[in-house]
Amino acid sequence: MTAEATEPDFDVIVVGAGPAGSVTAYLLAQQGHSVVLIERGEAPGAKNLSGGVLYGRVLDEVFPGFAEEAPVERRITRHVTTFLTGDSSVSVDYAGRPLAEPVNAVTVLRAKFDAWLAERAEEAGVFLMPGVRVDELLREEGPAGPQVVGVRAGDDELRARVVVAADGVNSFLARSAGLRSKPPEHHLAVGVKAVISLPRTVIEDRFAVTGDEGAAHAIVGDCTLGIGGGGFLYTNTDSLSVGVVLRLDDLLKHGRTAAEVFDHYLAHPVLAPYLRGGEMVEYGSHLVAEGGLEMLGSVVTGGMVVVGEAAGLTINSGLTVRGMDLAIGSAVAAARGIGEAIAADDVTATGLSAYRRHLDDSFVVKDLRTYERAPSFLERDRMYGAYGELAAGIFHDVFAMDGTPRKHLVTVAREAFKRSPLRLRDVISDGWAGVRAL
Amino acid sequence: MKIVVAYKWAPNPQDAVVATTGEVDLSRAKPAVSEYDPVAFELARRLADATGGEVVGLTVGGPSIDTPLSRKAALSRGLDRLVVVADAELEDADGTRIATVLAAAVRAIGDVDLVLAGDSSIDVAQGQVPLTLAGVLGWLGLAAVSAVTAADGGLVVERSLPGGTTVVAVPTPAVLAATADAVVPRVAGMKDILGAAKKPVEVLDLAALDVPAPGATLATLATAKPAGGERTATIFDGSSPAGAAAQLVGALRQAGAL
Repeated sequence: MTAEATEPDFDVIVVGAGPAGSVTAYLLAQQGHSVVLIERGEAPGAKNLSGGVLYGRVLDEVFPGFAEEAPVERRITRHVTTFLTGDSSVSVDYAGRPLAEPVNAVTVLRAKFDAWLAERAEEAGVFLMPGVRVDELLREEGPAGPQVVGVRAGDDELRARVVVAADGVNSFLARSAGLRSKPPEHHLAVGVKAVISLPRTVIEDRFAVTGDEGAAHAIVGDCTLGIGGGGFLYTNTDSLSVGVVLRLDDLLKHGRTAAEVFDHYLAHPVLAPYLRGGEMVEYGSHLVAEGGLEMLGSVVTGGMVVVGEAAGLTINSGLTVRGMDLAIGSAVAAARGIGEAIAADDVTATGLSAYRRHLDDSFVVKDLRTYERAPSFLERDRMYGAYGELAAGIFHDVFAMDGTPRKHLVTVAREAFKRSPLRLRDVISDGWAGVRAL
Repeated sequence: MKIVVAYKWAPNPQDAVVATTGEVDLSRAKPAVSEYDPVAFELARRLADATGGEVVGLTVGGPSIDTPLSRKAALSRGLDRLVVVADAELEDADGTRIATVLAAAVRAIGDVDLVLAGDSSIDVAQGQVPLTLAGVLGWLGLAAVSAVTAADGGLVVERSLPGGTTVVAVPTPAVLAATADAVVPRVAGMKDILGAAKKPVEVLDLAALDVPAPGATLATLATAKPAGGERTATIFDGSSPAGAAAQLVGALRQAGAL
């Protein structure tokens, strides 16, 4: 091969124009590097399922005041957590204006939001290349061992000093570089999600929000037919995003299909009134890595780093499901680390390990450590059945005025607990695990 | 030979939302090169390569048709350069208006031998623009073109018509509208997209073009989706696959379909 042929076409190739990829590309272009951003879809956002809740503080650091400019749907000022049984529900409802300023969480529809982020990258000088599916990594033996030197798509090869894999949960690139083996099934969940269109005034009335405020509901218990996982429901401007996240191993064990559980969820008497009269405008399914820190694989190899969901960066604490903010956090760390590696002219695994150091120092890994035990805590089956029954039992006895003399709340709780299949030592064990996990 | 390919930056049907009433909503669809136009790009490229000519892309419409993404999407598909007329006044322009602006742009490009276009656009789908363009230019215009090759002093054009195919000799200049399946268009590769960013783009000012003022405008009075075919909606018992197949064959025979 001639010297000319091995000259890199770009400083950095980023594969995947989701939040992780676009922010990495944007920040590297701002540092003055030549960056190409390759996207499989015909346009950024095209391949994405509806959207999600974005915890926006980290993005606000990259694009100050982004919530004013970016296509965000609503600012979440109301978080509701609900335990469901077959016919009742117990909710904790936190509505707080302090959550609105500065922006804590917003809902976004990815088809619009990803396009906006990619446009910012393009403005900063990134070469956006949509409609291209990367087929393989180009690898060569370097002085410090095997080194990723570019990508191949069809008949074309592109070379760069660093390749950034931002290709999502199934990251083909991270796997082909040997950075991730196929994760065990109990670290994978399947998400089924729909967007239900409703007039914005109806949404504001049903969810008790005004203007651009919105609500996010996290739901556990009967909504998943007792399968490990949970449901969510949140408000966009003139639509609702509603879905379930189901642990793959538990779903198989129960012999159910994800679609079956999802239909049950939509028809649940607690959910149905929110959705009534709405029209389903999108429906889809997506694999979710929900293993927290355990899923975070090796994120650096010679000539390549992995960011966002491709690196296994998601947190499901039971109350919040996070992915996009961690993706953006990893992008910030990756852009710094790659910048330093290129400046030091060392893009081997050693040079790029600067990324891992920045990632470890960031809120991303700190939060993963905080919630380290959440995945295994959420694997406790009682979380999905008995606790909802217990809570519903207590509140039923408190509010049911059936002519019997009222009892003290403690007595009510004790009696409800006796009827429940739960054992005290389970509750103590789960409570302790929960406190440590969350 | 100087070939202009007139194409439309139109909603991508992959993003279409089909309502339960059967109505198609393209308002949330991301734009792309209109579905049938890459066929015209491909025909033009092959003809230009065979005759040593140039292929110029031409598109007109509202301001949103001219973005880095839209430029690369067109230029990565075998064009040599691009000419764009993007003006707010053309945002919801009808086919006649689009055709008159295209004609003015073709004249401004100058010395054009052939204009190629897809048969119809993916969103409006009236198939009217190419032939109106031919009329405004005063050139020969042919639709349903399934193949085109160069011949002495002109073109040999194959047309795919309901009664069969005809092959005709066509003098230039001419406007040809290609069928959606005339050729399989190329898929742009990474090098094509990188190369696209280096190709020249000329933006023509609508006000500076010699376009006659719009004539009568169209008022839509009513729309209805096409009547669906009568369906018998028969469901066969599938417990025995062989039995269900026999019933299906029987029903198809009875209906005269077999």
